[in-house]
Amino acid sequence: MLKAAAAFAATPGAAFAQSAGFVAPFSDYRALVCVFLFGGNDSWNMLVPAGGAEYNAYAASRQNLAVDAATLLPINPLTPDGASYGLHPSMPGVQSLFEDDGAAAFVANVGPLLRPTSKAEVLAGAANLPPQLFSHNDQQDQWHSLKGVGTSRTGWAGRVADLIRGGVAEQRMATNVSLFGATLFQSADETTAYVMGPSGPVAFEGFGSEGILLEQRRAFERVIAANYNSVYERAFAAVQRRAVAAADEVGAALEAAPALATAFPVSLLGQQLETVARLIAVRDELAMQRQVFFVAAGGFDSHDNQNEDQPGLLGGVSEAIRAFYDATVELGVAEQVTAFTQSDFARTLTSNGDGTDHAWGGVQLVVGGAVRGREIYGSYPVLEIDGDVDVGGGRMIPGIAADQYAATLARWFGVDDADLDLVAPNLANFAIRDLGFLA
Amino acid sequence: MAMRRQLAAWTALIALTLGACGGGASGAGDGGSPPAPPPPPPPISDAEAWRFLNQATFGATPAAADEFKRLGAAAWIDAQMALPASLQLPFLQALPAPQFPFERQADRLDAWFRNAVNGEDQLRQRVAFALSEIFVVSQQGALVSYPYGLASYYDMLAGHAFGNYRELLEDVTLHPAMGIYLSMLGNEKPDPALNIRPDENYARELMQLFSIGLVELNADGSVRLGADDQPIPTYDQATIEAYAHVYTGWHFAGAPSFELAFPNAFNQTIPMQLYPDYHDTGEKRLLSGVVLPAGQTGEQDLAGALDSLFFHPNVGPFVAIRLIQRLTASNPSPGYVSRVAAVFDDNGAGVRGDLGAVVRAILLDPEARPAAPGATDGKLKEPLLRLTQLWRAYDARSASGRRSLRAAGVFFGGAPPAAPPVFNFSGPFYAPPGEIRDGSLVAPEMQIATEYQNTLVTNYFLYQAFGLNSASDALAEDDVYIDIDDEVEVAADTDALIDMVAAKLTGGELSATLRAEIETMLALLPADDPVLRAAETIYFIASSPEFAYQR
Repeated sequence: MLKAAAAFAATPGAAFAQSAGFVAPFSDYRALVCVFLFGGNDSWNMLVPAGGAEYNAYAASRQNLAVDAATLLPINPLTPDGASYGLHPSMPGVQSLFEDDGAAAFVANVGPLLRPTSKAEVLAGAANLPPQLFSHNDQQDQWHSLKGVGTSRTGWAGRVADLIRGGVAEQRMATNVSLFGATLFQSADETTAYVMGPSGPVAFEGFGSEGILLEQRRAFERVIAANYNSVYERAFAAVQRRAVAAADEVGAALEAAPALATAFPVSLLGQQLETVARLIAVRDELAMQRQVFFVAAGGFDSHDNQNEDQPGLLGGVSEAIRAFYDATVELGVAEQVTAFTQSDFARTLTSNGDGTDHAWGGVQLVVGGAVRGREIYGSYPVLEIDGDVDVGGGRMIPGIAADQYAATLARWFGVDDADLDLVAPNLANFAIRDLGFLA
Repeated sequence: MAMRRQLAAWTALIALTLGACGGGASGAGDGGSPPAPPPPPPPISDAEAWRFLNQATFGATPAAADEFKRLGAAAWIDAQMALPASLQLPFLQALPAPQFPFERQADRLDAWFRNAVNGEDQLRQRVAFALSEIFVVSQQGALVSYPYGLASYYDMLAGHAFGNYRELLEDVTLHPAMGIYLSMLGNEKPDPALNIRPDENYARELMQLFSIGLVELNADGSVRLGADDQPIPTYDQATIEAYAHVYTGWHFAGAPSFELAFPNAFNQTIPMQLYPDYHDTGEKRLLSGVVLPAGQTGEQDLAGALDSLFFHPNVGPFVAIRLIQRLTASNPSPGYVSRVAAVFDDNGAGVRGDLGAVVRAILLDPEARPAAPGATDGKLKEPLLRLTQLWRAYDARSASGRRSLRAAGVFFGGAPPAAPPVFNFSGPFYAPPGEIRDGSLVAPEMQIATEYQNTLVTNYFLYQAFGLNSASDALAEDDVYIDIDDEVEVAADTDALIDMVAAKLTGGELSATLRAEIETMLALLPADDPVLRAAETIYFIASSPEFAYQR
């Protein structure tokens, strides 16, 4: 199985060429929305053991950074694991999505892995691990690309878009859209992601549809269509061509979209998710059938002032995601849209005084009408220092691989089971190919 | 002792600039001639002068090109390196105290633009800008409340632009702006009873981003591979923890105690101070077999730790790649990197870390000046450099005198220094999909050249050309406008107009396509509307792929 992954890494193009031809046109609409929490979300303070020995272990590890048990927002998973859980008090929006709507689920202790491993293996240096654990950009790249030790320069959403491109030939906008800059997550071999602003595309001022402003546009287009000597000029001109081509059509469609009744919080994340909801509202105008959106929030690298900053960080995510789910209900597409979080890593259980440092496995949140909600998927570890899955300082070895998480999302999105190994190259090393959180 | 040396350097730097505030020796080069002048070098072409100045300044201009051709590259560099630093902090300190500190960020940006666009010390400012993109701090986040700290940090970088890397490392480490940004400020020794251990943030990023990087390098910058054919990590988690223990006990200077060290407008501009009770005095096992014995002072530990990084063999190629990418080329050859790294290792006089010598080596290397640039030579200009070049060429100014482009953060992807968390906006290895990635090349600036950002920058050039110009009668007092009076004068003559703008923005070089398209547009514009014709020409050149490319 490992061999197959290696062969894939060597000749990704060939694998895709074989695979993508077989996709039949989709007859329905689905969207994935990646909410990336930059900096490494301290998810052990997001979903927290709420009582008993589990809370005591957590409180003993976390000390001054532990959330007071009395303030946790209680949740009641349909399938209890014997422990009780609560959410950070700043997250009533997610609590109600979990408890009332049954549209939210957590995936516990997920992170980059190449194959299952154990504490003994890691400490002995014997484990085959993703390189540069605990480093921001390397672990962001790992979540984005699932590349393992190889040098894949495509992301898993990019590979998904390549694999399904035969099924979405009529789309008038790229499958992959980012509202937070260029990202490896959406990098692909055959398709190109489109980057817009947090409120959507910006129009080129000075271009019009008639007279001198049309001539100006045509002249500008001829300049950026010219042949250039330098690879940098060519790359720059290619972006300009995509920008000019998309700005009008997507911008016009978006402008014509009816206003949403759902109110979004005034925040960068709220703004991005509102734009995503509006783009979903005009999916038919743009003939969209499959979309992957990338939105993000920053500031989660809570090395200091964690107790002061965390309510705003987690509260902001909760409020924005609650509003986004409501908007999908308003648009009648809740079951066709799945939002999910990714983040560099979780954070150490130990404190550095007023904050935490980079760690490994953690908890991710999945929200949508297709989510088999009100559940915690995977095994939430006992949060004790030097416990079974702590490799030091409260850095937890993931029990679930990011590959499994991605493959579960990709399968729901419409990728064939046989192709999931192209999306998630380490998937073959894990027994479970579908974590079951999507119907 | 390290501390004393540190403070002395800082004070000297400030004194130097205060003294230099008014003057500014213009036209460096009309100083005294050497007794026996060497034979004149071969004449320098316009193209060569423009290329060099776009690498070494905030934008070539006809006047700068004339001076460069007169001096030659080596003498031009000498003259530039002799100029004192244009600073930001004295500018801020001359303004009244604001009600809220963040209000001074706009003034700090004003100071940045003044120095970048109009500072005589162009080479120093360009290198400081490069250093600010390596030793990243950002006004986004906590530092928004520390404009004086940020200004002082940038001034510190400018002061070290041609200094020694070891001293730069120390001043970066002890600067409170960095202390706040990467949380070394207030970092304390372990308290095992409370599961408290030292903050690992600065320890990790100093190694990963500022000195040695994640994996072992060959002298030519290529990645060394181990027996398993995989890269060899330079450090592991235990190493990070050891260094984290070194960087304990530092806080704002001059406070009665560690707990009572609160920020003020002054202590954010001077090096952090050690509070010995909060420093971990245990033994520390560092890189390269360096062991700091137990019982050392915080200053001794710091000196030992910074030395252990400074003498790591990765530093030469690590610094070489990053500075080359900021100044001259996205994809330097192994030979180029190793030549520059060798100068880092030894400047020819046995000194390691001489940044002035490194900058000289980068700019004078044959690879930075090929006779005809190949497809992968050079780099993309980041948006701010396109703006500063336009402003330099067109003597940009405002009625109020301010150069505070408040919209810089939106239009240009960030006001300097303002980067997304820790990692600079363009990582050194960013490869956009397409022929660059497929050719195993990189283009760091492409990371922010997205459809969205490119549109904003293009629109800004439109506003600048058509609205924010000297012919406009609708300028607000802070609007920075370009002086297009010369263009307006010749605008009826299409060839003369295009030649004039090209002479100011590209040294006269224009592709046939760009010239033809400008001619097409000018033919459609009324001959008696010179402002429109001038603006159109400037807009088309400033927004073109060829203006975005640095040869």
